[in-house]
Amino acid sequence: MKELSELNLPENLRYTDDHEWTSSEGGTMKIGVSDYAQDQMGDIVFVEMPEVGDNFDKGDEFGTLESVKAVSELYIPVGGEVIAVNEALEDGPELINEDPYANWIVEIKPSDPSEIDQLLTVEAYREILKG
Amino acid sequence: MQTQKKTVLHGFHVKQGAKMASFADYDMPLWYPTGIKSEHLAVIQNAGIFDTSHMAAVTVKGEGSRELLQHCLSKDLNSCVGLKKSALTEGKCVYGIFLNPDGTVIDDAIVYQLQPSKFMIIVNAGMGGPVAEHLQQSCDKDGIIVEDLTDLIGKMDIQGPKSALILKKIIKDPDLLFDGLTYFSFKGGLGSCTSSMPVEMIDGTEILVSRTGYTGEFGFELFVEVDQLKALWDKLLQAGEEYGLSACGLASRDSLRAGAVLPLSHQDIGPWPFISNPWKFALPWNEDGKSFSKDFIGADALLEETEADHTLPFAGFDPRKIAAGDTTSVIDSAGEKIGRILTCTTDMAIGRVDGEIIGLASGEATPEGFKPKGLSCGFVLLNKNFEPGEIIFLTDGKRKLKVEIRVDVRPGRSARRAIKTMLA
Repeated sequence: MKELSELNLPENLRYTDDHEWTSSEGGTMKIGVSDYAQDQMGDIVFVEMPEVGDNFDKGDEFGTLESVKAVSELYIPVGGEVIAVNEALEDGPELINEDPYANWIVEIKPSDPSEIDQLLTVEAYREILKG
Repeated sequence: MQTQKKTVLHGFHVKQGAKMASFADYDMPLWYPTGIKSEHLAVIQNAGIFDTSHMAAVTVKGEGSRELLQHCLSKDLNSCVGLKKSALTEGKCVYGIFLNPDGTVIDDAIVYQLQPSKFMIIVNAGMGGPVAEHLQQSCDKDGIIVEDLTDLIGKMDIQGPKSALILKKIIKDPDLLFDGLTYFSFKGGLGSCTSSMPVEMIDGTEILVSRTGYTGEFGFELFVEVDQLKALWDKLLQAGEEYGLSACGLASRDSLRAGAVLPLSHQDIGPWPFISNPWKFALPWNEDGKSFSKDFIGADALLEETEADHTLPFAGFDPRKIAAGDTTSVIDSAGEKIGRILTCTTDMAIGRVDGEIIGLASGEATPEGFKPKGLSCGFVLLNKNFEPGEIIFLTDGKRKLKVEIRVDVRPGRSARRAIKTMLA
């Protein structure tokens, strides 16, 4: 397992206490899971993703990540409409282990951009990981 | 809180950065940074080593030992070895179950005949005490000594097609060791478990080498004095480097054994009658399939049992799983609850091609460039029987997974291959 100091936690992203990350760009938002999440889960073998066009409220389950040992639900950090899913994950779920930040899971158009302000900064997320 | 027990290899696991978890009170590695998938595939294609020194050993010595085991074990020691069902003799071992009088399971075990009146019994972690006590209580003769050797025997497994090539490098006389070392036979001994066929490593350390394992793949279980285990582990790691040997954790051990349709004691077999399950070979059935070739503890209850639940292996159609537990269940196509999940994991070495299960080791049936995505597999306990090929569903209330009842899961397993072909 990685030590806290070994985790890759990019400064420019916002995080959730469910160990997801988000990046905002031009009114849309990409969502993935953090280095900590992929390290804890081990080899990811299946990614269940929503359909483009699906709408979710903040906190809704939008998919699952499955490792050899466990199934983890994915919760949407900000409500909105799915405008893209990362289809490369269907054939290559292990891409999330290889680089959890390059390999986003869904892209959404937030319905209430003010929800973004409630997400964790990297410092706040790091504090949560310290426990 | 109970103190976590550690095996003598604990330092290695932690230093490697393994993900650790408690298993039967031992702090054990689930996987190393290499990952479950690569560990699972290493055993299919090359070799893997597993720390199994959390498992317990019991010895039974003295005149009448054989009769005591014949009374307690679910295998007929006079008719259990090989296809011809010959008697258990020195250098052979058998898999069997210790049952309660009501036919429920105490534990499963491999019984090694070391000498005419000396046996070593390998049981699950934490079960040395209970099994030794059960044997003592079932014994009405003087002169039989039952000893619990929990934490006193060093045990590790090397599994996978390259196992013999790797082991060969550390054994003093490998030709002698491998000659006639068929599936479920062993040579060598150690300390309190000496046999009449000693085997030494190049450095002179005594070792017991058994052609068994818990992965369905070719390989060995190795036993040394517990203070020698770390040295053996390090030697094998080094000897195996050129063959792609990987240290493997309990998670890949679990996915490998599930794909090989082997039960985990206290999970797939347990406090319900040991019958109507895929492990008929663990009972001493006569050819009529209705009676046993010997009497033993639990036999009457099993023969009278008419309403036992059915333990059935299954495989899914993709890697997705529904975890075993109280919050999940098995339903039929009408949505009616028919039972519960005992084990559900993903065998990463198999996939479906036109609906058929194909493995990386399926030989000619494996398409070129085949990259398996893995299939969920395991066991369910159902209140009615289903035939192989029938479809059932696993559910956690939200997700519903379609799976198929199977006779077997991972094709092309290597466990029974002739040792000569594995040394070529």
